[in-house]
Amino acid sequence: MNILEYLLGLLQTGTGNLAAYLAAHVLLCLLPAFFIAGALAALVPQEAITRYLGRRASRWVSYPAALLAGSVLAVCSCTILPLFAGIRKKGAGLGPALTFMFFAPASNILAIMLTGVQIGMDIALARILLCMVFGVAIGLIMSWLFRKDEDAEEEAQKANSGQAFAQRAGVPRRIWVFFALLVAVLIAGTLQVGPLKNSYATFTLPAAWPGAFQAWLDGVVPPNPALGIEGVSVHGVFLIGLLALIGVTAWRGLNKVDEDVNGWTYAALGIITLTLVVAAFKVTAGPQGFAVGITGKLVAEIVLLGALWVLAVKVMERDELQEWLWEMWRFVKQIMPLLVTGVFFAGIGRALLPAAWVQAISGRNTLLGNLAPVIFAIFIYFPTLVEVPVAQTFLSLGMHRGPLLAYLLADPELSLQSILVTSKIIGKKKTAVYVILVGIFSTVAGLIFGQFAG
Amino acid sequence: MEIKILGMGCPKCQRLEELAREAATEAGVTATFTKVKDVGAIMAYDVMSTPALVIDEQVKSSGRIPHKGEIVEWIRAAQGT
Repeated sequence: MNILEYLLGLLQTGTGNLAAYLAAHVLLCLLPAFFIAGALAALVPQEAITRYLGRRASRWVSYPAALLAGSVLAVCSCTILPLFAGIRKKGAGLGPALTFMFFAPASNILAIMLTGVQIGMDIALARILLCMVFGVAIGLIMSWLFRKDEDAEEEAQKANSGQAFAQRAGVPRRIWVFFALLVAVLIAGTLQVGPLKNSYATFTLPAAWPGAFQAWLDGVVPPNPALGIEGVSVHGVFLIGLLALIGVTAWRGLNKVDEDVNGWTYAALGIITLTLVVAAFKVTAGPQGFAVGITGKLVAEIVLLGALWVLAVKVMERDELQEWLWEMWRFVKQIMPLLVTGVFFAGIGRALLPAAWVQAISGRNTLLGNLAPVIFAIFIYFPTLVEVPVAQTFLSLGMHRGPLLAYLLADPELSLQSILVTSKIIGKKKTAVYVILVGIFSTVAGLIFGQFAG
Repeated sequence: MEIKILGMGCPKCQRLEELAREAATEAGVTATFTKVKDVGAIMAYDVMSTPALVIDEQVKSSGRIPHKGEIVEWIRAAQGT
């Protein structure tokens, strides 16, 4: 095989990975998840949670509040680090503050959904539960190790008397309902259960071209179950087209939606709704034409999306909606380009990286097997969410599920940049201990999970 | 007039700067804009989270992006008009 064929082959793998990704995962799990992340950023007042983080609060209150803050208040590291600095400044205990900082990247709704849909719900759940436990453990350990420093700081802070932690802020009921509907849309679209997946009625759209088109697609982007490469369906191509349309309308309609709503805004929202509905059909291309199934998922999505529109138009405040859409779109702009690039290169990496290497180091659930990916994760930076396609590549190359979890736990937590910033906030010594604790816990978590996951 | 945007370079901070510049133009005021990115310098101000808007060393908002209209008001008030 000459070099050109080889390169083309790589390009094919990368593109195939990307196309399958966009059609399947992005739509049904990431699209609703971005809306949830946007709603969290726009509609939850920080004070509602941060007021429980003060040093005066009992541990039984401040640590759960720190966990809640981590899961609800921060999606990207650009929010996590400043908020960590802020609550420290305002007098939060070292323990709860670190629990917040540790749990926030782990409980990122986008990452959880992507992990669950692409790698497996078992890993996604393990990721979140273990991070909860270890987050609190790390907070408590750090708080105990540095208790003398903390006592000194509390004395100095007496004057501040926790003003920041005495504020009151509630969450109006319509916002709870709004969240519930958004989450329901997400679950209805991604939960793999019979009643949702099964078709209750089928009809055929007769046409000659679908069969041929699907065959052509399978030729260009061959499915390769051994490497974990799903093919692209005609349905998928149509959905990718809709995604592109969303990109164009959203760019014009959502870039400045916080200040100004225009025709493009409504167009974008309409197409997004349409896309979610179209994605819920079960469509297979065959020689006869399209076999279209009306699934339980479809019915659920139509009802839920309808309810969302009604709530938005009649009950939600305009300001809230505009801010929600702005936050949602800015997450998309921040994360998607890097994710797309990451998926493409992860696809190529799968073809390039020798499986033998991966298996030799992390093929079994050993101490070294778990430690190696953790060290890799600490020093190599991947943007938010990209750790998931990278993990998928490792998995398909033969990494054991234990080390896989260790990698997924460690990667979002630390990067050289976040370590630098953290050391500016709490000092080099505390940061060093924190990094070591994160490394140990990720490795141990991987080892434990690996024992059960086998 | 000195307008400072406190933040570590995330999209929200960029949007705040954009709106602040538009607001200053609308209010007909020339101001110097500074972006404070260093976390130590940010902590020196009394803010819980970023992005934060500081006009003539007074913190006007933090943890959110205010409406352009609000920013125009603050700029006018700081100008004394």
